[in-house]
Amino acid sequence: MIRIGDLSLNPTKIICLGTNYMDHVEETGLEIPKEPLIFPKTLNCLIINNQPIIYPKLLFNNRKFNRVDYEVELAFIIKDKCKNVTFNNVYEHILGYTVFNDITARKMQAKDIISQKPWFRSKSFDTFGPIGPVVKLVDEINDPHNLNIELKLNGKTKQSSNTKHLLFKIPKIVEYISSFFTLEPGDIIATGTPGGIGPIQPGDLIEATIEKIGTLSNKVILEDD
Amino acid sequence: MSEIKIGSIIIKPTKLICLGRNYLEHIKETDASVPKEPVFFVKTVNTIITGEDPIIYPRILYENENYNRVDHEVELSLIISKSCKNISADKAMEFIQGYTIFLDITARNMQISDRNIKLPWYRSKNFDTFSVLGPKIVPFNEIEDPHNLNIELKLNGEVKQSSNTKYMIFKIPQILEYLSKFVTLVPGDIVATGTPSGVGPIQPGDIIEASIEKIGTIRHKVILEEET
Repeated sequence: MIRIGDLSLNPTKIICLGTNYMDHVEETGLEIPKEPLIFPKTLNCLIINNQPIIYPKLLFNNRKFNRVDYEVELAFIIKDKCKNVTFNNVYEHILGYTVFNDITARKMQAKDIISQKPWFRSKSFDTFGPIGPVVKLVDEINDPHNLNIELKLNGKTKQSSNTKHLLFKIPKIVEYISSFFTLEPGDIIATGTPGGIGPIQPGDLIEATIEKIGTLSNKVILEDD
Repeated sequence: MSEIKIGSIIIKPTKLICLGRNYLEHIKETDASVPKEPVFFVKTVNTIITGEDPIIYPRILYENENYNRVDHEVELSLIISKSCKNISADKAMEFIQGYTIFLDITARNMQISDRNIKLPWYRSKNFDTFSVLGPKIVPFNEIEDPHNLNIELKLNGEVKQSSNTKYMIFKIPQILEYLSKFVTLVPGDIVATGTPSGVGPIQPGDIIEASIEKIGTIRHKVILEEET
């Protein structure tokens, strides 16, 4: 169970989109997807507003792996159990929206991608999924595809875009994902990050903001011995 | 959080983590390379079935000639008994509740096509009903050596996979030591240890029987997804 603002959720899964903003597709050198590119994060990664992101020593002390990135994303929460949802009915199955930071061990991910391995270890370290500060209910946000989205690292703006630039919009995302899997109440879907991703270091403060939702703040600390 | 009843025991898994490429004969048949460290991927809990539940062959695969190959993979799996992180191999067995049989159903052609264009192994592994567990959880102290168990899968009565867990490349202590460097494991979490060779396609109407010595046998029918 996780408490986001005054709402308690029982997610069974977190599904993230990769390469869903054109400027991010360009900076990663990945291909423009023909259909949504999806991957999971495990629930052990979830933390809420003001909890620290723990930079694992395993990455910090290894020159091949010591790059960990922030990625601000619009996320939404599933309201009820659903499968094979049609495009036009998607919003009936969404509880609300929140801010998600898809922390990623970038060099480890790049190495795993090259060797055609799953994207698991690089995405699912403990604390690599900050979420919050609140869930805005679906009827409180008229158009989720017209929200400014921004990330500041130590007060300096690093990512700045608008959700109107999403390649796959929410109805298409839910239609696509639910054609494969049953979604359950509390499940979290993150819609991908815009350009401007970059590294974090112990001591950094990350502030991820989406218009009409709020600011998700997390400090980065080095894992204890 | 989902509750799952395996035999008489209820578990509440938060994640299901599987090894790929952990039997040499299976690595050869898939044209993959021998891993230097364990290769993990995730299955989400919507995939889990138990008891008499059928395996549902999705229409989205069945009706698409690029994707209409779905395979069986029998595996030894273990259930985590208590929360753990950064555990050492020599302590790993203290964190195991017990063992059960796992069937890792895989949309093979979709997995290959995703892998070839460097996409995550995700959709091909996570259809509803693509993870079969049972028939019971054998407590860890009832199996003296989990690395010496015959493991077998029959399709419509014919043996398709037959090996022994002694051929696992990474053994359970190493697997848990490595995995717990990355993620905190919590009670009920499921870790599957990879499949031996002999993987092959299933079709609607098939009966799959998977057995592991000292654990038992699970038997599941494959049915085609109903039209929506």
